[in-house]
Amino acid sequence: MTENTDSTGETIDGSNVNGESNGAQNERCGPNATDESKADRDTLAGAARGGPRPDGGTATAAASGEWSRSETAYSTLFGRPILVGVVSIVVAFLTLPVVVTVVSSFAQSATGVVPQGFVTLEHWRQVLGFGDYGVRSNALPGLAFSLAIATGGMVLNVVIGVPVAYALTRYDFVARDVVNTIAILPLVPGLILGIAFVQTYPEHGRSAVGLIAGYCLLKSPYMVLTVQSSFQSMDLVRLEESARSLGASWPRTFLTIVVPHAKRGIVAGAIITWTLAAAEFNFTYMVASGSPDPFAIFLYRNISNATYLQSAAAVSVYFLIVVAAILVLQVIGNSGFTTTRQR
Amino acid sequence: MSVRSSATASVRRVATLAAATARPTTERDRERRRIAIMCLPFFALATVAGFVPLAMLVRISLAEETVWIEGWSLEAWRTLATTAEYRWVAWNTLWFVGLATLVSVALGVAVSHVLEKYELPFERAVVAAVSFPIALPGIIVAYLIIVLLGRQGLVTNAIAVATGQSALDLASATAITGLFLGYVYSLLPRATMVLRGTYAEVNVQAEEAARALGASRWQTFYHVTFPEIRPGIVAAAILTFRSGLAIFGTVLILQSHRVLTLQIHDEISVGSYDPDIAAAIGLVYVAFIVAVTFVGLRFIENEAVEI
Repeated sequence: MTENTDSTGETIDGSNVNGESNGAQNERCGPNATDESKADRDTLAGAARGGPRPDGGTATAAASGEWSRSETAYSTLFGRPILVGVVSIVVAFLTLPVVVTVVSSFAQSATGVVPQGFVTLEHWRQVLGFGDYGVRSNALPGLAFSLAIATGGMVLNVVIGVPVAYALTRYDFVARDVVNTIAILPLVPGLILGIAFVQTYPEHGRSAVGLIAGYCLLKSPYMVLTVQSSFQSMDLVRLEESARSLGASWPRTFLTIVVPHAKRGIVAGAIITWTLAAAEFNFTYMVASGSPDPFAIFLYRNISNATYLQSAAAVSVYFLIVVAAILVLQVIGNSGFTTTRQR
Repeated sequence: MSVRSSATASVRRVATLAAATARPTTERDRERRRIAIMCLPFFALATVAGFVPLAMLVRISLAEETVWIEGWSLEAWRTLATTAEYRWVAWNTLWFVGLATLVSVALGVAVSHVLEKYELPFERAVVAAVSFPIALPGIIVAYLIIVLLGRQGLVTNAIAVATGQSALDLASATAITGLFLGYVYSLLPRATMVLRGTYAEVNVQAEEAARALGASRWQTFYHVTFPEIRPGIVAAAILTFRSGLAIFGTVLILQSHRVLTLQIHDEISVGSYDPDIAAAIGLVYVAFIVAVTFVGLRFIENEAVEI
């Protein structure tokens, strides 16, 4: 699947091209194989240009002129090294600051090119509230509060997300596209939802219930998408009809047959929504009222008002949570924070 | 007369449909009831937590007196329409997010291509590396940019040592380039996630045929692969653009470019408390996002849309 003719394209000779393209042509255009490789190439190139393609893609106007031999093409020579170089830079850009943050949270001083003086737990102690001073005396209540709220949002997300994902996958109804768009695209950004929320519900908007409802709505697309892709990979109609024909009522079929089959998708969606809600900032910043500070506000204070190394420790606390979440996701078969199921 | 009778007829039809859904007699009615029941919890929450607050936002933007929300006035909308500063902020946001989207989607195509087509030594690690930043909130992204490019940053210090310049002069985390890299940091993983899904469905046989027929890699990509992934690119661009518009934490920390979210934040800060203007900007912003999404989805038929 992933071998994209690495070797064949470069070392191919005339007869080889002939043989291969004959095979391809027999598959697509029926038995009108010619002997000359040039004519052969022309007919296939023509078939690729006009007419509907068998894979259902749209045929665009190809460049005029013959496709050249591949040995001389620059893209064959330099394409791969350039692409791999770009990807290496991207990966370094994405991971390097994370590694530096975690490492320097254990360092004693950050002056100079690299942090120095390992290993000290001083910054972690301060951040977690066991030190003599720090931005906040204690982060643990805030952390526990945030995790509890994230858990509440996650549970609510399972309750609202699984049924709507099922309806969207199993049934075809009038407003399906509209419902689908509303369910999988967060149409209101967290910042604006936060402002509106506080004004609409002045008494309860800032409470834990308000935060749970907001987190749930903001993160529900991840749950719906993950569960949807899980439902799509199974034969829902057959499953349901078997259960019904054996005498199960419809609610029982849904709760004891359909939902358990989508268990992995639901667990993956729950972990993703939980992790994202644990540090949701934009909404929290507008809504949260303090006492205890949610984790996102704790991070904000630590990043904007603390020393460099103390911020590093605070951010590392969240990295720990993310790493734990990713490990659990890997165990249940998702590779990282994706809503699509990997092969 | 005819308008009235047809309106009555449609009301009656809706009522009949609702009655049949609530108390079904046929299998079709039962299925409709199931769909309604399944969608109900989601829409209950969306109404309470989403639609009602949005309606409240409309009310605030039209209020004459913004603390107790009384009276009616178009003042906020008039201010928004006539002040040049708001147009400038809108333009700032559009070009900045647009450029970040362009860069992120282009890099996302490269990353997805490499992951799908090449055998890499640490493929799982690369996948993890390009997907985990999705979990990072904007404030953490801002901090990571400071780690790279701030005054004590790694890259800053490395360049300072190499060239002998002062690290303080080289620090660019709070310059616009630093913010731009922060946006790319947040957006690139989202673009990649959509594009990887698209790449997984590319017809490999067509590509192999093109290569066997003598097309170079670039020609194969341009004429065979690219038309197939184009819907995915459009979907990735829409989602990346939307996510980029919603970024707030990064810009709140780095503060180097006045974008919409920062403007909204400033409008409701102590000292310049204008919730009506903030609400009006917010509504324009939500309307714009919804419009972009729906117009963009017109261009792609398949369901390549994911977060």
